[in-house]
Amino acid sequence: MEIALPPTQLLAEAIASPAAIALTSACAIGAAGLALLMQPGKKGLRIAGTVIALAGFAMLLVEVIKRASTGDDGATTAIPPVFPVIFSFIALAGAVRMVTHPKPVFAALYFILVVIATAGMFLLLGAEFMAFSLIIVYAGAILITYMFVLMLAQQSPVAGVGDAWYDRVPREAVSAVVVGFVILATLSDAYFSERTQTQLADARANGESAAIERSWERLEGMPKLLLETARTAHEDQWRAAQREVAAGTTAATMPEIVSIEQKADRSALRRIEGGVSVTATLADGSTISVAIPDALRPDNSRQVGVDLVSKFPAGLEIAGVVLLMALFGAVILARKQIELGEDERRGLAGMRRITVDGEAGGMR
Amino acid sequence: MTDNPIFLADTGAATINVALLMSALLFVIGLVGFLSRRNMILMFLCTELMFQAAALAMIAFGKVHGDLSGQVFVIFILTVAAAEAALALGLVVLLYRRRETLDSEAWSELREA
Repeated sequence: MEIALPPTQLLAEAIASPAAIALTSACAIGAAGLALLMQPGKKGLRIAGTVIALAGFAMLLVEVIKRASTGDDGATTAIPPVFPVIFSFIALAGAVRMVTHPKPVFAALYFILVVIATAGMFLLLGAEFMAFSLIIVYAGAILITYMFVLMLAQQSPVAGVGDAWYDRVPREAVSAVVVGFVILATLSDAYFSERTQTQLADARANGESAAIERSWERLEGMPKLLLETARTAHEDQWRAAQREVAAGTTAATMPEIVSIEQKADRSALRRIEGGVSVTATLADGSTISVAIPDALRPDNSRQVGVDLVSKFPAGLEIAGVVLLMALFGAVILARKQIELGEDERRGLAGMRRITVDGEAGGMR
Repeated sequence: MTDNPIFLADTGAATINVALLMSALLFVIGLVGFLSRRNMILMFLCTELMFQAAALAMIAFGKVHGDLSGQVFVIFILTVAAAEAALALGLVVLLYRRRETLDSEAWSELREA
């Protein structure tokens, strides 16, 4: 474990090291580009902003990829991470357009682009189930709700007026970008400092084997799937053996596995090189040992499902309660919409009307 | 996962780093959008962007440790995001009916001072 340095020393280290300066200046360049991009209605500034933001992003990427190779003894960097870079570029472009676009509907569509790029990144990180549920839930359900409300609450476009002024003019763009820059610089320094990179490399070194280990543990909790997997492995091996013996001489039927032997402590798997092995009982009563290679371990969605119900049952229940409460809340909010005439009632009673008159803007 | 085709080749630590960078950037852009957009619906959309960033960071760190808890937490994030979208959009529609505008500054009298 690392010994925690006193904060002053950490700060001095963060300020002094040239690597931190490179990272922070890349963040600053990106932030400057974003600030320029947010200026409404000035095309030249927006083009300059795009160029500067792209430059900042490229600098950040180069810096970050470089750091990955330092923490990783250079073995895995033969292939540049093409797809991660493409996906992060798409996501970034979509996010920036979403933040700066004057038309809300287009902003929502750009958000779908971000969701898809994020889902691609999830796929690269081996989270297949989450990638597709992200697309289904976000791009499919949540975004459609947003589009609905956008269209419900959109003021009908008046000829010659164009987009509402509050969509065109950002509020305090520069200070927002400054806040963003501070957080980005802090986050990137936290993620990509040498200290963190070494820790990440250490964790990665046994991460893969830990993942395989855990997936076999999960398989052990699923007897039916274990039986199926053993059958698949057995069939593969049997076919391979048949092919080796002689092509076409035997028409022997494959002996079916009927059960997997479990030890007294309910464990059935033994680790072997490149996989696990189980003791299986065949239909004729004899037992054989079946080796299951690592490639046959349960897929991502099964493992996530097992983890969800076995490790986080309380969280699952709470998620259900949250959804139920959201349902109640939405119903109650929707019922309130019936009382619409309040403003008119106030007007009749001679009180000040709440609603600001006028369209396309409602200047107070 | 090990026998990926070449275009999905595991580029190891670089992928993790790019994912972390992407998550930080998405979070920050979402924050900037939340602070600078005036349209209430888009402000909430920007919070969704921040949720995405958090989810991405969780999955990236989960990949580092070979642990699926990060992915399970993303399920909870999705749940909260869905609940939030339903409630927030209901509220926004109510607010819109009151003021006939989506401008969040129409409600600035709610703040202190």
